[in-house]
Amino acid sequence: MTSVELALAIVKILIVVLFLLNMAAIATWADRRQGAMVQDRVGPNRAVVYLPSLVVRGIVFFPPALLAALSVFTATRPASAPAAAETMVAAAQFAVAVAWLGLIVFCASARSGGPINPAEEALARVEPRSIFYGGVMAHVAVFFLTQAIPLSAAPVVARIACVLLGALLLVTGAYAALRVPEGKIPLRLLGTLHAAADAIKMIWKEDFIPKNADRLLHSLAPLLAMFPALVTFAVIPFGDKLCFEDNGDGVFGFGDLPLLKRTVDQAFTCSGHVVNLQVADLNVGILYIFAMAGTGIIGAALAGWASDNKFSLLGGLRAASQMVSYEVAMGLSVVGLFIIYGSVRLGDMVQWQAEHAWGIFVQPLAFILFLAALAAETKRIPFDQPEGESEIVAGYFVEYSGMKFGMFMTGEYVELITSSALLVTLFFGGYHLPFLDRDGINVAFGDATLFQYKMTHFAVSLTYVLAFFGKTILMAWVQVFFRWTLPRFRYDQVMRLGWTKLLPLTIVNMMVTGIVVLAVDSAPAGLVGGLQVAADVTHAIVAVGGFAAVVALIAGLLEPVERQRTVNSTSSRFAAAAGGTKASPQQA
Amino acid sequence: MARATPSNTWTKPAGRPIAGKPIPRPTRSADVQAYIPEMVKGLGITMKHFFKNTKEMVLGQKPDPVLNALEPGVTTISYPEEKRPYPERFRGIHRLTLREDNSPRCVACLCCSTACPAQCIAIEPAEYPDGDRRKGYERYPSSFVIDELRCVFCGFCVEACPVDAIRMDTGLHAVPYDSREQFIYRRDLLMSLSDRSGSRLTANTRHEPGDPTHPGLSRDHADH
Ligand code: SF4
Ligand code: SF4
Repeated sequence: MTSVELALAIVKILIVVLFLLNMAAIATWADRRQGAMVQDRVGPNRAVVYLPSLVVRGIVFFPPALLAALSVFTATRPASAPAAAETMVAAAQFAVAVAWLGLIVFCASARSGGPINPAEEALARVEPRSIFYGGVMAHVAVFFLTQAIPLSAAPVVARIACVLLGALLLVTGAYAALRVPEGKIPLRLLGTLHAAADAIKMIWKEDFIPKNADRLLHSLAPLLAMFPALVTFAVIPFGDKLCFEDNGDGVFGFGDLPLLKRTVDQAFTCSGHVVNLQVADLNVGILYIFAMAGTGIIGAALAGWASDNKFSLLGGLRAASQMVSYEVAMGLSVVGLFIIYGSVRLGDMVQWQAEHAWGIFVQPLAFILFLAALAAETKRIPFDQPEGESEIVAGYFVEYSGMKFGMFMTGEYVELITSSALLVTLFFGGYHLPFLDRDGINVAFGDATLFQYKMTHFAVSLTYVLAFFGKTILMAWVQVFFRWTLPRFRYDQVMRLGWTKLLPLTIVNMMVTGIVVLAVDSAPAGLVGGLQVAADVTHAIVAVGGFAAVVALIAGLLEPVERQRTVNSTSSRFAAAAGGTKASPQQA
Repeated sequence: MARATPSNTWTKPAGRPIAGKPIPRPTRSADVQAYIPEMVKGLGITMKHFFKNTKEMVLGQKPDPVLNALEPGVTTISYPEEKRPYPERFRGIHRLTLREDNSPRCVACLCCSTACPAQCIAIEPAEYPDGDRRKGYERYPSSFVIDELRCVFCGFCVEACPVDAIRMDTGLHAVPYDSREQFIYRRDLLMSLSDRSGSRLTANTRHEPGDPTHPGLSRDHADH
C-alpha cells in the first residue's frame, strides 16, 4: 500500500464516520421532530442561542459569498470546450435555482415580516407557487438554451454564466443579510441544536452503575453496541470507481491525484490507477455485514446481563433471541439477490443494478422480507421488544445514564443510517441514478437511444456520491415513519412471524428465483432483449416518478390553505354552556 | 372458539355468565392479514399528516403554540412549549412553612415521617436553646430531609402534620436533575420554597406559647 493509498483510505474513513455521526445526531432530532409533526405538535424546537445581528449577518452572507468567489474563480480558469460546456450548463442551472429559491424566501419573509420597500410589496403579492412553477420552466428553457449554444462559443458563455451566478449569489446573500433585524437574534435552526444540547447534557450527567452490576461489562456494553454499527459501513460503496491517469512513473503517487481522467466510457477502461469509493472492497462483501450486524446484539445482551436488573435481563434476552431468529431470515432473504447479481460484493451488485434494473423491481418480495428482518435486527419499531417500555420499562438500558445511554442511542441511530445505506445498495441501485451512466446521460430502451448527453468523469462521480447519500437520507426518513405509524408487536407474535412466516417465505423466494434465473439463462435471445427493454422501462418509471414526486412535493408545500379550526364540542364549551366559570380547560 | 367464562362467586351471582353484547372482532380479510397493504395505508396517513402540518408551520399558517395556549378549545397541549397551569390542590414539591419570625413551623413530632409510605422523610429533632420560650413546649428539626426521588406524592405527610408545617402547595413538579444527590431536599431548601402566591408562612397561624392569646395551658399551670 503506497502512502497515497493510505491517505485516501483515511479520507474515505473520515467521510464515512463523519457522515454517520452527524446523521445520527440529526436523525435523533428528526425522529422526534417527525413524530411531532405527524401529531401536530411542535416537537423539539426551543433550543436556542442568541447571537448579535452582526454575527448572524456574517453567517447569512458568508456561504453565498464563498460560493460566489468559487464560481468567479471557475470563470477565470482555462477549460477545454467540453468541460466548459458542462460548466456552462451547471452554472446556468444553479443561477436559475438561486434566483427562484431566493425569490421564494424573500416573498415568504415579506409576507410574514411585512414588506419594507415597494419591490417587496410587489413580491408579497405574488403567489409563491407561481414563482416555483416559473422556476421549473426557466430550468427547462435555460437547459435547451445552453444546448443550442455551439461548442466553440462554450468557453465564453461559461465564463459569463459563472460570473452571473457569482453576482446573483452575492446579491441574494447581501440582501438576505440586510433583512436580518437589529438586536439579539435567536438562532433555533429548526431545533437541530437540541442534538448538541442533548450531547452536552449527557456528558455532564451522573454516570450511575448499580451496586451489584458487573462494572467492566456494564461499561463495555455501550461500546460494543456502537462499534459494529459504525464498521458495517466499511464495505458499502458510496460512489463509483474513480480513474486517475498516471503521471509517467508507473506508481500511484500524490502527483497522480490531480490527473483525474476527463471522461470514462461505459466499460470503465482505465489504464491508470483505480480508486474505489468504498472503505474496504472485501470479497466476502455482504457476509461481512451480516457478521458485524450480528455482533451488534452482543452489546444489548451484555448490557442486559451486566445491569443486575430483571427488566434489563429480560430485554437483553429478548434482543438475543430476536437476533437469532431474524438473522436466519435476513441472510436467506437476499440469497435470491446473490443468484441474480452473481456476486456478494456490494460494488458488483450496484453495477448489475445500473446495467439492468434496480433490486426492488427484480426481487420485490425479498425487499419486504429483508426490510422486516432488518427492522428486527436493528431493534426498531415494530420489533423493539428489547426495550418495550410498556412492559419492561426500557429493557436492556434501564440502568444506563449519561453518555453510556447516549452511546446506545447513537448506536441505534447509526444502525438506522447504516441499514438505510444497505437497503439503498441492495434494492435501490446504490449510487446509481436512472439513465446516468459513467459517460453521461443515456436515455436508452434496449438498443434504441432516445437522448444522449455527455458528462465528465468528475461530474458523474460527484452526482453518484450525492445520489447515494441523498438516497440514504431519504430511506432513513421513510424508516422513521415506520416508527410513527406501526404499533409494537407482541413478543410471541414476533417469534411466530420470524419462524413461521418470514423463514418459509424466504426459502420459497430463493427457490423460485433459482428456477426463473435458470429459465432465463436458457431462454432465446429475443426474450433476453425484451427483458433488457423491460429493465430500462423500470429506470424510466423511477426517473419520471422521482421527478413528479419532487415537483408535486414542492408545489404541494407551497399551496396556500387556510386552516379550519373546528371547535365545537370540547369539554370547556360544554362546561361554559352549563354555566361553568372555566372558559378553557387550561384555566384551572 | 369462545369459551364460557368460569363464574366468579365474589363478583357476581353464581352460575350466571356475564350478560352483555359481544364486541365483534374485525374481519380477517386477506388484505388485513397480509399486513403489508394496511401498513402502506397507515404510512400514507402519517405522511399526509406530516406534510400538512409541516407546510402549515413552514408557511406560518399555524398560530404560535405558545401564544395560542390559552385559547379555548385546545385539546392537545404541546408541552413544554405550552404548559397547563396545575389545579389549585395539585400536590407538588414539598415546602416547610415558616412562623412570623422565619423559624420553621415544624415541631419535629415525626408524624409525617411515620405516615410516609415511601419512608422518604428523615428528621432529626432538637431542643430549642435555654431561655427560648418554646423550650419545653416543642422541639424543632435540626435536620429535615426529603428524598423527592422516593416520594410518591401521596400527600400523607401533609395530612399527618398537626401544625401545618409541611405543605405541597408550591405548584412545582420535580425538576429533571443531573444526579440523584440533587433530589435530596434539605431543610433550608424546603424552607425557602413558597406557595403559589409567594408566601412562605403557614396558612394556619397558631398562638405561640407565652402569647397572651395562647388559649391552652401555660407553664404556670404546670405546678399544681
Ligand atoms: S407525599 Fe407521601 S411519599 Fe411523599 S413525603 Fe409525603 S408522605 Fe412521603
Ligand atoms: S412536618 Fe409536621 S408532622 Fe412532620 S415532624 Fe414537622 S410537625 Fe411533625
